[in-house]
Amino acid sequence: MSVIKSSAKRQKFNIFPYILTLPTIIFVALFTAWPVILSIYKSFFLQRMNIARFREPSFIGFDNYSFLFSDPNFLQVIKNTVNYVIGTVPISIFLGFFFALLVNRKLVGRGVFRLALFHPMVLPMVSAATIWLFFFTPGYGLMNSALRVLGYTGPENWTGNPGLALLSVIIVAIWKNSGYYMIFYLAGLQKLPGDVFESAQLDGANWWQILWKITFPLLRRTTVFITTIAFIDAFRTVDHIFVLTTGGPSQASTVLLFQLWQERFENQNVGLSSAITVIFVLVLLVFTVTNYLISEKED
Amino acid sequence: MSTFKKYLIVIMLFAMLSACGPAATPEPVQNEPAPLEQKPTDKPAAPVEEVAPTDVPVVEEPAMDPVTIQVYYPVAVDAPIAAILNGYIADFQTAYPYITVEPVFSGGYADVQTAIQTTIEGGGTPPALTVLLATSLYDLINADYIAPMDQYVAAMPNGQAYLDDFLPAFMANSYYDDQLWSIPFQRSAVVMYYNMDKFEAAGLQPPTSWASWADAAKALTTTEGTTTNWGLKFSSDWPYWLFQPLAIGSGQNIFVDDCTMAFNDPDVVEAVQFYIDLSKVYGAMPEGVQASWATDTADFSSGSVAMIAHTTGSLTGILNQAQFNFGIMPYPGKADGTFASVPGGGNFYIMKGAPQEQQDAAWKFIEFITSPELAADYSINTGYIASRFSAFDTPAMQEYTDEVPQALQARDALQYAEAELAIQNLGQVRSIFHNYIQKAFNGEMSAQDAMDAAQAEAETALVPFCQ
Amino acid sequence: MNEKAINGRLFNRVGAWLLTGLTAVIAIFWTIPVVWALVASFRPMSEPMKIGDVWFGSALTFANYERAWSLAPFGQYYINTIVIVVTILAVQLVTIVLGGFAFANYRFAGKKWIFFFILLQMMIPATALLAPNFATIRILGLYNTRLAIAIPYFGSAFGVFLMRQAFMDVPRDLVDAGTMDGCSWWQLIWHIYLPPSFPSLIAFSLSSITWHWNEFLWPLVITNSDAARPLTAGLVRFTQLGEIGAQWPLLSAATLIVIIPLLIIFLIFQRHFVESFLHTGIK
Repeated sequence: MSVIKSSAKRQKFNIFPYILTLPTIIFVALFTAWPVILSIYKSFFLQRMNIARFREPSFIGFDNYSFLFSDPNFLQVIKNTVNYVIGTVPISIFLGFFFALLVNRKLVGRGVFRLALFHPMVLPMVSAATIWLFFFTPGYGLMNSALRVLGYTGPENWTGNPGLALLSVIIVAIWKNSGYYMIFYLAGLQKLPGDVFESAQLDGANWWQILWKITFPLLRRTTVFITTIAFIDAFRTVDHIFVLTTGGPSQASTVLLFQLWQERFENQNVGLSSAITVIFVLVLLVFTVTNYLISEKED
Repeated sequence: MSTFKKYLIVIMLFAMLSACGPAATPEPVQNEPAPLEQKPTDKPAAPVEEVAPTDVPVVEEPAMDPVTIQVYYPVAVDAPIAAILNGYIADFQTAYPYITVEPVFSGGYADVQTAIQTTIEGGGTPPALTVLLATSLYDLINADYIAPMDQYVAAMPNGQAYLDDFLPAFMANSYYDDQLWSIPFQRSAVVMYYNMDKFEAAGLQPPTSWASWADAAKALTTTEGTTTNWGLKFSSDWPYWLFQPLAIGSGQNIFVDDCTMAFNDPDVVEAVQFYIDLSKVYGAMPEGVQASWATDTADFSSGSVAMIAHTTGSLTGILNQAQFNFGIMPYPGKADGTFASVPGGGNFYIMKGAPQEQQDAAWKFIEFITSPELAADYSINTGYIASRFSAFDTPAMQEYTDEVPQALQARDALQYAEAELAIQNLGQVRSIFHNYIQKAFNGEMSAQDAMDAAQAEAETALVPFCQ
Repeated sequence: MNEKAINGRLFNRVGAWLLTGLTAVIAIFWTIPVVWALVASFRPMSEPMKIGDVWFGSALTFANYERAWSLAPFGQYYINTIVIVVTILAVQLVTIVLGGFAFANYRFAGKKWIFFFILLQMMIPATALLAPNFATIRILGLYNTRLAIAIPYFGSAFGVFLMRQAFMDVPRDLVDAGTMDGCSWWQLIWHIYLPPSFPSLIAFSLSSITWHWNEFLWPLVITNSDAARPLTAGLVRFTQLGEIGAQWPLLSAATLIVIIPLLIIFLIFQRHFVESFLHTGIK
């Protein structure tokens, strides 16, 4: 509302905002848009670097796409990806919010608590995943030791079990990312108008009402941002899968980006990997744009 | 307000200044004298090295233009590979003052390959020499990345003798279309480590067949309270490699040639079933797919597990940790008295995209670094198996193997080895194989069904390659 | 009334203690992996982990740190990483503040489309970037420089998005008041938009530093000399031991060598996440 009102004053064409965004646009165009265009272009070609006669690209229309969507393996990968996203995104966002509330309070040693929750983000994913690899070790891995103390009697072989492999990479992702989302919520919490809370408290609202009716709505833009990056992160993180399960057993933990790596660098299938790239970008783009538009509509 | 402006300017200035890193080299590899902190190449001839190669003619070739080559190499063991290579290169440059060698560490094997692919596809010049998996052969040939080496061997005074001196198992993935494409460098093999003390205590002999292997594994599996000390650990998170000797010992390797797989050969299926039986029937190892590559060695050297299937590359680590006597042997085969193993590790490849004089220089370096003395030295310092027979005759190696007899046992296992899985369309076919063998290991499919499905899918995947 | 208030306060006090306890429990739980890695990094390499013996070895040793340090030129790498990370962050802070300001403050034709175009950067997988960006860097003549590692990140969709969101949260009345007072555009940014958005800027900086500190594939591909390579090129020597598998004590030592500065940076920066109600009210 207010955006429209105040910017109504500057109705005449103004080149200035374009200039402000120009630096970003140039770098994005050079190092992102150009590769995307190349990917779109190459996705219509048959090109496999490891087959001599297919090294030179030949146009095949939408064949790469139709192949993908008729390939049961690819559909399995899509399914895994959906499960992975559902398994990681909501929980890590919730934990990020929850952690932010916990360490936003006055607290002795607050910095250390914040560090404790944030530090997984600082670890390189390869190192983090390797540490977790040890945690998942059957027999004496700390994961199982801890769970056994809690009365767990299920299977101990996490990364080799088709039913648990994806769950184990999800656990690592949640552990790694929750603290990351926490800092954006923390940043958001800092600029909430204090007077609103005071008047709400005077009106006798309890903490739960304040949280749901005031805090959370006021953090809406932060949440939109975090939802977007969490969703994108879920698609773009793959190192822990290389370390923990190499996509197995039997592809049970192969997600879209892992598949893309295999097609691009192991199978050297340029055309097919470009098609996967386009699908990958499209999914993220649709989600981000929808998320953004819905959020802006509420204004 | 003016502070903001200042701040901005400072930021931008800083950005520009600090961004000017080391001197920009316009191309990845260039045919110029080495830039920057390269070791001077004109240092006076050093006194004769201890490890001066014997079968490389240290003849100054007159009036050679200076040439710089790069070697992209991976690190897959925890040895100081960079320092070792730098030592060899210093010696090399004494022998060949006109050649400068720049070693470039490039991650793991997969990272090296990614870097090479990116460089070539991005229009750059690849390094003249790389160390990549021996099994990458067909992908590299098909992509037209590598150059054959026959001409160089032909030009050697004793070329055939040079090749014949390499352990045959290590040369198994070097030829295609009657041409030579790679030379073994950092090689290993799949073997079985066994705890001799445990065997002795139980009155057991090292196994000589599947039956005696399984029996020993069963006998050595003990339970204390809730913990089980397994007789055997055999990881299967990246299963084809450790599995191959089972198939070979059963009578049929998992592939016949680059276009023919034998996944559902009765012998291979039997080997899959044997792996399953080791847990299901004998109870001698944990059930299902074991993602335990990194922990198996610890379990063995802590004395918890009596036998492990692993790479000879782990010998150094186990030697460092184990407080007991242990031996290395090939896997026992199905029939009594038969054994099996499979090689692994990386070879040298000469990249076709590098200028000819760099390729020639790269060969000189290969010849130098595969000399028996350096092959022995590299083996002693890294734990890889020396790639040549004559390396084992060097004094340094003999001294070493007197102390570490397992190094000889590792070499001897290789006489039972067949080729590691190196085929057309390797990545995809290997994924198919992994996919189904893990289904069999996890009990999702029977061994026969899984291997039938793997064979069918692999054949389809090979059609565009093998028509 | 009084009694109720007292009860309420007591309840609050107890509640606060409970919350603190809960925070502590979660924090301990969350740090187990890294604490284990820290302990493991001091464990002698000659003592394999086994059942009931996965923490301290028979002695504490610095051998793993010495070994890790000797296997890679970490000193040079440290300098490079710092140069790269600072360069990226410095340029990004400028580009994202300007970009975020444009999207939050102005209405202009094609605004949405430009915004979505920029967001593309967050979505494209590295697999699709390597070869084309290698070609671009080669054409720019930057191969094997620290700038080559940094330059693709000079524009940050992530940052522009974050700053746009933060600036949008600045009450419009404040902005209008500033405009009335005759603030120029950069005075608007400096006096109106940035102060309340400072925590977001900190969050972005932490994220940018962490991210680029830990990036490893692109630097490995686009440089080939230790003079240009960052810390991760050292770390990779311990994470890709395909032949023998993970060596935890060594890997833990190398990881800690690499990340200690990041932990310190976080401890310093996080102090800025302090409620600053003052900023919104009066100007």
